[in-house]
Amino acid sequence: MKNIIKRTLALALVLVMSTTALFGCSSDTDTYKTYFSTSYSSLNYYATSYATVREIVTNCIDGLVEPDVYGNYVASLAESWTHNDDYTVWTFKIRAGQKWIDHTGAETEYALTAQDFVDGIRYIGDPLNGAYSLRVVRNLISGLYDYYWGLDDIDCGLDTETNRDELVASFSDIVGVKALDEYTVEYTLDSGAPYFLSLIESSMLLLPVEYDYAMELGEDFGVDNEHMLYCGAYYVSEFQRDKLIKLTKNEHYWDAKNVTLSAVEYQMIPDGTTSLEMFQRGEIHYTSVESEAYQALKDGSLGDSLIPNEFSFSTNYLWLDYQGANPEFNTFVQNENFRKALQAAVNRESLGALREPVDPSRLVRNTINAEGAIFNSEGVDYTQLEPLKAVANANYSADPAAARNYMEAAVAELCNEDGTIKGVTAGTVDYLPVIKTEVDGKLPVSLIYVGTDDEDEIILAQLFEAMVEEAIGKDYIDVVLAFDTSGDFYGTVGGSVDGPFNYDIYWDSLSTGYADPSGILTRITSEGVENVGCYNVPEFDALIEKALEADTFDERLNYFAQAEAYLLEGAYMIPVISSLRGYHLSYEVPFTAPRCLYGNIRYKGMQISANPITLEEYNKYEADWEAKKNAAN
Amino acid sequence: MAKYILKRIVRSLITVSIVFFVVFMPLRFMPLNGYFPDEMIKETDEATRMTYLRNLGLLDHPLIQLGRFVKNLFRGDLGRSITVYAKVPIATLLVEKIPVTAFLGFWSMLLGIVAGLAMGLMMVRFKDKLGDTLGNGYIMIVRAVPSLIYLFFIQIWVSKWFNLPLVYYDYKPLSWILPIVSLSLSSVAWYALWLRRFMVDEENQDYVKFATVKGLSKKAVLKKHVFRNAIIPLSAYLPSDLLNIISGSLVIETLYAIPGTGGLLTTAIKEQDNPLVQVLVLMYAVVSIFGVFFGDLLLAFVDPRIKLTED
Amino acid sequence: MNRSEHKLCSFPKSLVRNQDLFAPAPFNAAESEKTGASNYSYWKSTLRTFFKSKAVVALVVLVCGIILMSFLYPVFSSVDPTKVSTDRQDWNLRPSLTHLFGTDGLGRDIFARAWYGCRNSFLLAFCIALSDVGIGMIMGALWGYNKKLDPIMIEIYNIMTNVPSTVYLVLLAYIMNTSYLTLFISMASRGWIVEARFFRNRILSIRDSEYNIASQCLGTPMRRIATRNIIPHIINLIIMEAALCIPYSIGSEVFLGFVGVGMPVDAITLGNMVNHGRGSFTLHPYQMLLPAAVLCIITVAFYVIGNKFADASDPRNHV
Repeated sequence: MKNIIKRTLALALVLVMSTTALFGCSSDTDTYKTYFSTSYSSLNYYATSYATVREIVTNCIDGLVEPDVYGNYVASLAESWTHNDDYTVWTFKIRAGQKWIDHTGAETEYALTAQDFVDGIRYIGDPLNGAYSLRVVRNLISGLYDYYWGLDDIDCGLDTETNRDELVASFSDIVGVKALDEYTVEYTLDSGAPYFLSLIESSMLLLPVEYDYAMELGEDFGVDNEHMLYCGAYYVSEFQRDKLIKLTKNEHYWDAKNVTLSAVEYQMIPDGTTSLEMFQRGEIHYTSVESEAYQALKDGSLGDSLIPNEFSFSTNYLWLDYQGANPEFNTFVQNENFRKALQAAVNRESLGALREPVDPSRLVRNTINAEGAIFNSEGVDYTQLEPLKAVANANYSADPAAARNYMEAAVAELCNEDGTIKGVTAGTVDYLPVIKTEVDGKLPVSLIYVGTDDEDEIILAQLFEAMVEEAIGKDYIDVVLAFDTSGDFYGTVGGSVDGPFNYDIYWDSLSTGYADPSGILTRITSEGVENVGCYNVPEFDALIEKALEADTFDERLNYFAQAEAYLLEGAYMIPVISSLRGYHLSYEVPFTAPRCLYGNIRYKGMQISANPITLEEYNKYEADWEAKKNAAN
Repeated sequence: MAKYILKRIVRSLITVSIVFFVVFMPLRFMPLNGYFPDEMIKETDEATRMTYLRNLGLLDHPLIQLGRFVKNLFRGDLGRSITVYAKVPIATLLVEKIPVTAFLGFWSMLLGIVAGLAMGLMMVRFKDKLGDTLGNGYIMIVRAVPSLIYLFFIQIWVSKWFNLPLVYYDYKPLSWILPIVSLSLSSVAWYALWLRRFMVDEENQDYVKFATVKGLSKKAVLKKHVFRNAIIPLSAYLPSDLLNIISGSLVIETLYAIPGTGGLLTTAIKEQDNPLVQVLVLMYAVVSIFGVFFGDLLLAFVDPRIKLTED
Repeated sequence: MNRSEHKLCSFPKSLVRNQDLFAPAPFNAAESEKTGASNYSYWKSTLRTFFKSKAVVALVVLVCGIILMSFLYPVFSSVDPTKVSTDRQDWNLRPSLTHLFGTDGLGRDIFARAWYGCRNSFLLAFCIALSDVGIGMIMGALWGYNKKLDPIMIEIYNIMTNVPSTVYLVLLAYIMNTSYLTLFISMASRGWIVEARFFRNRILSIRDSEYNIASQCLGTPMRRIATRNIIPHIINLIIMEAALCIPYSIGSEVFLGFVGVGMPVDAITLGNMVNHGRGSFTLHPYQMLLPAAVLCIITVAFYVIGNKFADASDPRNHV
């Protein structure tokens, strides 16, 4: 109510005043203003959907290590660390004398110790706390898997003999994370993980927590900025849900002298057109520029400042359904020639042009794991290891006629003379709630593409339909598009928790989350959680097994490369392009912020320029950075 | 009178309960996968997901869930959001969002009434002349053209002409003007249309003819007799309007990035946030049903010809 | 005081006094037997009043033209509105002679899409108008004539108008499929009760009006009351409500497209075209402006026709 009165007064004041006042960008050069487009649900970094909150949390809660401007891992809350020879035991020495701070920036009585890292794992290990995305960490840290399911068995009444409190108390005996002393934490892993540092960077689950504080708040932990403690370069000083988040510099931070920006302001702008307009009016310091906007801007005053986005570790691919309800497609998809026909029919550059009009070829990606993300001990890029190299460097879109040839071979194997498909009768395909349709058991093969109702994805699907039908021929294939309008694609297309997915083919993305192929590849084995298409490729599974049991990291990568190459050569899944989206405009001085590889943004050290950075300046900074990087290594 | 009011209250409560039940049950038959964010489905195995659902109480029998919700409601606990705002108490959400929407809604309501009545008066004063034509043209556009189209153009073009901010800021009063004006457009048309209609009807009444014959000027007749009688039926809508300021406009709040209640219900339904949907539906049903009830009371109060009794 | 009265007052007095100007009329027995009633026909007068305004005639012609075109275009034109071009050169072309309204982000002809969109939107709107007004009128008549139904119907009305339509839209979309049918069901499921209430109120007021009571007292048979006293008054309401239903349902379609529920997203409708064009408005304004203009012409025309018809059907406006 008080709020209303206050605002009313202000409004009255304005109406009295002349309305010609101009509102521009405020002149302070050490506040970085940016935006977000989808609402963040909560700040609880263990139990929230991943991408939206991570950017904020990364800057407010420090992990054990952090990347520097060259992407090398350097000390953060841990001053130093060691690991054993097979990378299964990691010991971190924590910086002494640190305190958690609250949302006003004041130090609290809680000290930051090794125990806080142990407690982070304890927090996510309890199913009642509802941690998200914990599969990788749960399966890596020894004992955590059993601890988690032990508690769950008690909760759902399967195990009536064990006392819950006793099991919780035995956490430090069972689970492989221990505080050796006040400032030393040790992680014991089930398998060797040379990539452990990159996991610390990318996964929020390895961040510390003040357990007593979090437990006292219970479900209120992280619901807004007041119900949280901070230990990073910034703290969330202002939090208006769905509107504004303000990060303010933490004056007690151990590395405060290297924190250049005094504040970072996020505001919600749901619409891309609006953010562009606001950038032009100088109200925000950064905006992404989609492909269509690029054409309109390139001749304008900001044309020089359009900077191509650098890289994306996320890969877009086509998932094929091997156990779908469409008998026509189901018969064909088991055939390698048919899959290769699809692989060749997709024009990757055309698809890429939807996002990058100038040089779509830089989006083309044939591998699942991104290039530039994983390197072996000799510094060779994972995607350039044999035999994956051949796949990565192939040009599948080069010859559209190949698609037709592959298809003719598939048709010869699978169809009778009169165009009926062997063993398939006419029937109804029930992919409800998305689509229900009739198939006649004859050529053309009907292929049901199921997509979300996102506008860009609809356009992409329509283009996919056109190019596939053009390359393979309408007499052989009929692409049927169906879109899910529920806004909850996996929920609807999945039908039920345990039911099969309702689609023949869909467009999805996976991203390399840390410097090891296991992040994606172990998820897509025949039994893997992400294998929603339910293919069964024992050769691939065997190679993955070998990789996981490999003695050295290089050997492990070689097996992974073989496995990935096997899967892709058989076109069991079809990677197409990276998720890179066109261009951006920014006031950020390039290469002053830490180089985060896995989709994070860190503001520590970032500098802002007085004007939008031009592409020319950007290239100069880049050359500079490359030179320094090479000198440093 | 008291008996009538009591009866109406009981009936209103019954209606609210039925509305609530009609919404509550279908929510329980939505697909279980809908409760997970997409990332969670991709990252976790099925057993973990079932554990997650069970710990949220979503696997219990719908009637048990209903009982639990009602029990907590009487304790003053509205519960927590599950998908849209993970674990955030719904009461907190409402306290954060309602003031924003209500503030804009209140001013747009005032603007709607004042401008609408003024326009209606103008149309009657200059009946069949330019003023009337202009007013009718405005009403026609607002009522016939889909609101999304003209609201969008207002945001893009009007903000440019007057150099107004494109989105809403709580600290920049200039940025409140466009949302308030946009919100009031349809109520201006509504008040103008009905005031004109009622006033034209009243003009044919005998007492108006008598007042004219008595020698009162046209202006005085309109002001003293016609207008006063014509706004009585309009006053019945005042309580509804006043209560409804808490339910914002989805389109306007999305266009101007206003952190209000406007899109909350739709988002909650789409993301299957059962507790949030339930609370919002309950709240809006109470507001709308009791708004009509208070409107009837107000009408009986201002119009002595109306008596509140059961016929 | 209106202008004709003023003229009468200023009629030259001398002229009135001059009796010589008047000649006595001879008695005619046949003429004197005639009653005073003119050969007034309600429908003829309504139509005459309706078409008196040239603007209305123009609007009716325009609407008929658009309807005709939207149904004939798909039959006679060979342009496929879903034809996607894989050649980037054909994307986002400005309006030109080959593409009157330009092309969209995938090279599809917007002019062709606009006509297909008109047809689909019209069909949807007509179906909704038919069901809303049809069911609404029948239920309204029952509601008005049956006192026992009254409390039940009021309760149903209160419930239906308070359950947010998105709830059953999402549920329907889950059970069935997003198609025109779900959209139709979800829009029509609520419209009829509003119409029913409207018709109930009008039927009550006609039933209790003095001329009807007088007619009943004079012993007019029920059939004649229904056909002469009630139905003529209802028919014009039906036409008016149906006409007004069209802008309403096109508007709802645009809104649902914006919210993103219940609508087959790749369906070509005016609402979808406007919503999709909105995204690229600052860059390719024609992609939204042209379909939006067509949409507005249609909704405004129907709105005006509906209102003018309501005026024309009011006997007080008949001359």
